[in-house]
Amino acid sequence: MILSDLLGSDAFDAEGRRLGAVLDVRLEISGAPAQLLAETVVTGVLVSSHSRFSTWGYERRGEDGPFLIAWLQRRLHRGSFLVAWDDVELVDVGRVVFRAGYEQLDPMLPQAPREA
Amino acid sequence: MNDHHEHDPGHEHDRGDEQDAGRRMPRRDPRAPRGRVLDAHLHLLDRQVLDREGVPVTTVDDLELDGIELGVRIQPGSPPPTLAAILTGPQLLMRLFGGHAPAARRIAIPWKLVSEVGTTVRLGVDADSLDASWVERWVSRHLIGRIPGGRHDPE
Repeated sequence: MILSDLLGSDAFDAEGRRLGAVLDVRLEISGAPAQLLAETVVTGVLVSSHSRFSTWGYERRGEDGPFLIAWLQRRLHRGSFLVAWDDVELVDVGRVVFRAGYEQLDPMLPQAPREA
Repeated sequence: MNDHHEHDPGHEHDRGDEQDAGRRMPRRDPRAPRGRVLDAHLHLLDRQVLDREGVPVTTVDDLELDGIELGVRIQPGSPPPTLAAILTGPQLLMRLFGGHAPAARRIAIPWKLVSEVGTTVRLGVDADSLDASWVERWVSRHLIGRIPGGRHDPE
């Protein structure tokens, strides 16, 4: 499957209520060791109830400048959340359905190590 | 209120965001990350891909995920999908305007060739060994190479 088919898909809960749109896919470089990097696995999907487009990830990082852009971005993506891949029940064309009792998690990214 | 927070070391959502005080804050992902965490769109799409020597190869136009079957219920506990390849070529236009390039027209760089992900995506191989750089090779051989002096460095 191609990533862009998943981005912008509508996200639904098990009862069929629309929750928002898939904004991004969270990955983790933590699978089976490979030749260069470890395998990169999908660990969750980010959902925004207000926007279909991911922009600069202000809602996922602690950064807050420039103020006006940060404020607008936060406002646009308020209420966005992360759903673990284990809670995804079905992926179809333009549609992602979560399992009953899925949990909405904080979309914040863990602090990345600063590169030299 | 403050006393409550002091006695609750597990409370991780006190980010001082007074505006959000009335809204239920989702809890943090309880699973500790076991490796580098990336968001596919935020950290990978449109990034430049460099080869082993730092020569630009292409950009990440799209990504191919393995292990997602459309319309099939995912059994609980089944292994998560994995990142299979970086897609380039006509893929950018498809991403912007919609539609699909036939699989034969997609130029894929297998993800297993990636050695590092930072501001750019670094590969562990030379650009010349990849299908993604065939246009560059063709132009250098058939067009630039035919111009007098086009086959050697400037003197």
